[in-house]
Amino acid sequence: MTNGAERRLTGMERWVVGGMRVLRDDLWTTRPDPLPASVWLRWLPHGLVILVGVGTTLAGVAQIAEGYQQGATYGFVCSAVQGVAVVLALWRPVPAWWLSTTVTVVVAMGARSQLISGQASDGTGWPWGPPALVAEAMVLLLLALRVPTRASAAALGLTAFLTYVVQGLIGAANYGPTGTVAVTVFAVVVLIGTALRGRREARNQLVEQAGITAEERARRTLLEERNRIARELHDVVAHHMSVISIQAQVAPHLVENPSEELKDNLAGIRQNALEALAELRRVLGVLRSENPEDPYGLGAAGTGSAPDTPQPTLDRLDALLENTRAAGLDITAVISGEAPAYPPGVQLSAYRIVQEALSNALRHAPGSHVRVTVGHDVEGLRLEILNSRPSGPVRPSPGVGHGLLGMRERAMMLGGHVMAHPTLHGGFLVSAFLPKDGVRAPGRDRGTPEGLELIFPDDPPPTGEEKR
Amino acid sequence: MTSGATIRVLIADDQQMVRQGFTVLLNAHPGIEVIGQAVDGLDAVAQVAELTPDVVLMDIRMPELGGIEATHRITLAHPHIKVLVLTTFDLDEYVYEALRAGASGFLLKDASADQLAEAVRVVAAGDALLAPGITRKLIAEFSRLNGTPRPPLKARVGDLTERETEVLTLIAQGLSNAEIARHLVVAEQTVKTHVGRILVKLGLRDRTQAAVFAYESGLVRPSGY
Repeated sequence: MTNGAERRLTGMERWVVGGMRVLRDDLWTTRPDPLPASVWLRWLPHGLVILVGVGTTLAGVAQIAEGYQQGATYGFVCSAVQGVAVVLALWRPVPAWWLSTTVTVVVAMGARSQLISGQASDGTGWPWGPPALVAEAMVLLLLALRVPTRASAAALGLTAFLTYVVQGLIGAANYGPTGTVAVTVFAVVVLIGTALRGRREARNQLVEQAGITAEERARRTLLEERNRIARELHDVVAHHMSVISIQAQVAPHLVENPSEELKDNLAGIRQNALEALAELRRVLGVLRSENPEDPYGLGAAGTGSAPDTPQPTLDRLDALLENTRAAGLDITAVISGEAPAYPPGVQLSAYRIVQEALSNALRHAPGSHVRVTVGHDVEGLRLEILNSRPSGPVRPSPGVGHGLLGMRERAMMLGGHVMAHPTLHGGFLVSAFLPKDGVRAPGRDRGTPEGLELIFPDDPPPTGEEKR
Repeated sequence: MTSGATIRVLIADDQQMVRQGFTVLLNAHPGIEVIGQAVDGLDAVAQVAELTPDVVLMDIRMPELGGIEATHRITLAHPHIKVLVLTTFDLDEYVYEALRAGASGFLLKDASADQLAEAVRVVAAGDALLAPGITRKLIAEFSRLNGTPRPPLKARVGDLTERETEVLTLIAQGLSNAEIARHLVVAEQTVKTHVGRILVKLGLRDRTQAAVFAYESGLVRPSGY
């Protein structure tokens, strides 16, 4: 049945039906579409539109009451509707256009008898009374500013068609014809509106794309950091594994006449360690950095960590501070409490967090004074890196926030947290806590852990400034 | 060699377990004696000067002074001491850098006791590349990263006779002296003489360096280039 019905539609008909459907979707809507504030003029355009609405209402009363001689009350009602349409166009341009056009047609049709009977003042503008013309032009401009070109063209066409029907087909007498002028004005106005809208759309797209790019970059940065952390941790594990493989081999030599069971057992341990090592090498091959100058991603900029040194532990902190001092930062180190035997992961993370914080201080606060506090307490390791206001000129640097992301990942992985924010004195504070057993507390969501506060100092403030 | 047939070994590694383990494993092999342990690169350089071992087992990644730089210093100061580089990881550019710095060979840390002892012997004897297949691949791969052959190296190839150039090419392909002798149908002693002359003319310490040289000078091109 439906197939048969569809087959009966010729190509032309289908085109017309499709076109009508599009037209209906475009022009039979009350969808809100508020006019945004202008960059330069703020809300001034909105004020102007409202003024135009009021002005056309007042002028419309005069036009209808005196021009068409239809009475002040009737004139006020119709003109007020037209004025409301102008203001409504600020929020819902399509219904506003319907309203404005309809009221114009109604008024024009109502004025016909007055014109033909000669009651109306001679030569008055018809079918578009000048106030109605201004109001409709305003509405069409606001429409063209917001809706797609197709819809504004349709609205313009429909307006012109109605004008032709009223003036050309129905007609009246003793009037000054305004149809041609009106349609010309409307066409110009729609053209201007469409052009402005195109410009605005292009700019919005640009802003949107910039937003996507920034988001993409942030995501990549995070992945790179995770990759790097994974690499380091696998590196540590691989070292332990290779020591196990060596020890398993050495053990039989340490006892006299080792039993076969003992030897078999130790051979089993060695075999497992070797297999684990093979897997680890494969993983490390996958995680290996794309940067050819730093394939392991183990060296960190500016802090003199050479690629042929082992993964750092807390013992290496002194050397790190010394290197950073040599790079031009004035560092005071405060260590409180006795360091327990932290797992390698905690030591590595602590070292990297201090390293990143110092590296950030070097970059963003050259010549500043830095206080590094390392506190060992019953719960774990507390780090605080506080730098003063920079004393030298700060070079802008790309990749800001990279280090902070890494710190966050490292701390979260161990169930700790990181706080990073500017101080009131123009400096910057990074503080971190790492639980001493380095085990993530269960049930914590990876995305938004409690007690995590991370403020990126160099991110643009979220004011929407760049949205325009 | 200072004490006849016994190969005297120094172990440099920052992990005590590794040092002790290798000491036990190597001492269990007749003809090899571990005479010292160093805890980092600086310590290794100091102990080498004091003990003059035949072979140094050198961890690449050590604090204070990395294994590559320590290798460089040791082989520069003591041309007769062979360095065998140990790596936890795969064969990568650090290993290659170590070879360029003067190491005679490399070994994964998880190698078996027999492989370890064999490596020490081969490196001490010096008449074959250690793990020739892998070494050749490693050199081929990473010499390529250094870009075009360096002209000064290329010029020095000109100092070699045609026969010596041929021997150098075979060394770079990982052949031992015995294999080269068979290949060229000459006595092994003749090959040894050629190798000795090549090393002297090019100012190289051993055949590993010769292999690196052959690739870096462009004399041998990595296959699949």
